[in-house]
Order: sequence, then C-alpha cells, then structure tokens
Amino acid sequence: MVEKRALVFVTLAILVWAISISSLAAYFYLQNMMYTKQIGENQQSLNKTASNYDELMSKYNILLGEYSILYGIYSFPSGNFTSLIESLGRLLDSLKGNYSSLLMDQEDLNETYYTLEEDYELVYKESNVTREDFGRLLNEYYDLFNLLAVRELSLVLSQTVTLNVNACIDYGNGTINWRNETERMPAGSSLFQLTQKISEINYTYYPSMKPGHVLVDSVNDKKTYTVDYSEGWSWIWYYWDAEEQKWISGPVGCDAWMLENGGIYKWRFEHWSWP
Amino acid sequence: MKIHLLNTRKLALFGILAALCLAIQLTPRPPNVEFTSFFTFAVGVIFGALYGGFFGCIIMFVNGFLSPYGFAGLVMPFQMIGMTIAGVIGGVYRRLMPGQIDLARFCTETAIVGAIIALIYDLVTNIGVGFWFVIGGMDFALAMLIAIAYGVFFSIVHIFSNTVVFGILTLPSIKALNDLLGRGERFG
Repeated sequence: MVEKRALVFVTLAILVWAISISSLAAYFYLQNMMYTKQIGENQQSLNKTASNYDELMSKYNILLGEYSILYGIYSFPSGNFTSLIESLGRLLDSLKGNYSSLLMDQEDLNETYYTLEEDYELVYKESNVTREDFGRLLNEYYDLFNLLAVRELSLVLSQTVTLNVNACIDYGNGTINWRNETERMPAGSSLFQLTQKISEINYTYYPSMKPGHVLVDSVNDKKTYTVDYSEGWSWIWYYWDAEEQKWISGPVGCDAWMLENGGIYKWRFEHWSWP
Repeated sequence: MKIHLLNTRKLALFGILAALCLAIQLTPRPPNVEFTSFFTFAVGVIFGALYGGFFGCIIMFVNGFLSPYGFAGLVMPFQMIGMTIAGVIGGVYRRLMPGQIDLARFCTETAIVGAIIALIYDLVTNIGVGFWFVIGGMDFALAMLIAIAYGVFFSIVHIFSNTVVFGILTLPSIKALNDLLGRGERFG
C-alpha cells in the first residue's frame, strides 16, 4: 500500500511535468499560428505582386506593339515623316495615359516626358519633318518608355521589397551628417529620390545629358558655384565599393543610379578645377 | 538569558543568510539558474513560514533594483510574491515533515518541492510579464497565454536547476543550520 505522503509528492511531480509540457505545447501552437499567418500574408503579397506584374506586362506589350509598328514604318526607306508625326503624338498620349500616376509621382520622369513633349511640339509645327528629327524623337520616346516600364516594375517589387540604405552628406568643411540604416526606400528608387528624402535640394534638369539628367545645385542651402570656367565647388556623389573598400565617384547622373539594398552613398561638396 | 542568546543567534544567522543569498543573487549567472529560492525555502524550513516569506520578499525587493539584468519594473512585485510563496512552502514543509525521515526520500521530496517552487515562481512572474502586454493593449487572456508560453524554455531550465539544487543542497544545509541553532536532527 502506497502511503499518502508519497502519493502527494508523485502528484506534485506529475503536476510540474504536465504544466511544463502544456506550456511547451502552447508555445509551439502560438509559433505555428504566427508562422501560418505570416505565410498567408506573404502568399497574399506574392499573389498581388504576380497580378500587378501581369497587368504591367500586358500594358508594356501593347505599348511596345504600337511603338514597333511606328518604328517599322520609320525604318522603311521612303517614309513620309510629316504624316507620321501625328502617330507619334498619339503614342506619346498613350504613354502619358498609361503611366500617368508614375509621371505625377516621379519628378525626373515627369521632366523627361515634358521635355520630349516640347520637342515633339517643335517638330510638329515644322511643315517638313525630317527623318533625323523623327528618329531622334522616336529614340527619346523609346528610352523614356523603357525607363517608365523599369520604374513601374520596381514599384510593383517595392510592395514586397524595401531597401535599407545608408547615406551621408559631407559639407566639405568637416561636417558630415550620416543617416545610418534609417532609410527604407522602395525597391527601384534612384539616388535622386533618396537625396530628396534626406535633404532639401535644388537641381537643374539637363535634357541632353545622359544617362541621368539631373545636376544638384544645392543641398540643404549649400550652393554650388564656379570661380571662373576652370574651377568651382560642386556637389558630387559617391557610392561605397564594398569589394574595393573605397568610395567610387558616381559614373552617371543621380537620377539614373538605382539604389541597392545595404548600399552606402555620399554627397560631397568639393572643389574642382579644369584642366 | 538562553532565549535571548538563541534569538540573537537566529537573527545573526538570518542576516548572514540574507547577505549570502543577495551576494549570489546579484552575481552574474546563467538566466534562471538561481539559489535564492533554495535559501528562501531553507529559511522557511528553519525559521518558519513567516520568516521564510519575509526573507524571499526582501531579497527580491533588493534584487529588483540591483539585479545584473537591470531594474525589474512592473515584474518586481510578482517576483516578491513568487519568492514569498517559496518561503511559505518551506515553513509548511517543515510542519508536515514526519518525526523521522529517510535521507534519500528527503532529498527526493525536496527536489520535487524545488521543482514546484520554480514552477509557481515562474507562473507568477510570467503573469507579471503578461500585465506588461495588457498595458500595451493586448487582450488579457492572450497576453497571459503568450507570457506563459514564451517563458516556457526559461521555466524548464529553472525547474531543472531547482530540482538539482534542492535535491543536493537542502539536506546538508538544513543539517548545518540546525546544528548552528543547536537543534536536534530529525533525519536518518
């Protein structure tokens, strides 16, 4: 016969075991619930991205088809470009209609579009449109169209992907302001957009400059200036090359440079002279 | 005169145990491996439930401010309650101890008591953590469930370590403390 005291202690031991195991089960149940919810949300997000991607690609294909027809006619040796110019106008309208929200949101693209539209108006007013003029407009259109498509695709990606970047502004007088790991930018953002986000800037748009049309004139009220044609102070941007372990001067305009996740960027106010 | 000497000795012993316990408690150590509940339980066994409860309460109060893990905050009252319970259990255990007890059985019993003290202490402090979540706007039941469930791994470590500490240390400690107070043995 087991005595009462022993039974009490056996019961207590079982109680400890049962409560511990139940807590463990509750822990795994909660973890399972959390992961299931996360997977569901991720799946939903992926489905939405896939659906947006389909929509985007069908739009891209239609516009590309329209461009292709016009380009085919342009390539034909004996084309009448004066009559074709209206087709290009329709193509431009179609581009604006399809990417209206993107053109409204992104200043640099908007500027590029209106420059192209102005060029188009100038050529349109001419009584005789030359092959060169038409070809140049068609090329500019195609560049902008591709840029818009890339940016919109990036925006679709940004619904599921955001970029963590570091940036600093070096005023050239020993003052360096860092923004470490604080900038979460949507995928597909350019350095120009990041710069606008982290500082107050003034800039000039140069339609003929490629790739990238933007030159920064001032950052947080610090303005660029030239002493004479051969020297001055300007805002120059750099990116950090992790492999080489050094800053590399920006090879293109800041509006053409797409941000990378974990990328480190610097704006530096620096002296230049020529030659 | 004899009673006064005994009281002074008891008081001195109580103070030494409190200082020793605090010194160990405030020393950096693996999370949830602790000796405070063992000391509190031992004080409960030697001095009774009231002293045991007071001992646990005061140690956790000081620990709440000086712990190497930082200020305990809202959890501190729950830690004090948990440790008070450990001291009271010591006193109750002393009352329920038979006149003579087998050494192996005593060790087994105190190991089980150590486990149950760890479990109760963890449940009480986890409820304290749950109140943090409730203040943060979480539903009460869910907050308690999450606090208890997510504390389970710490709890398992605590139960295991307490089982070992109580099972091994209680017998020699109680014997030594009884000797110091000039009491007779009840083991063996």
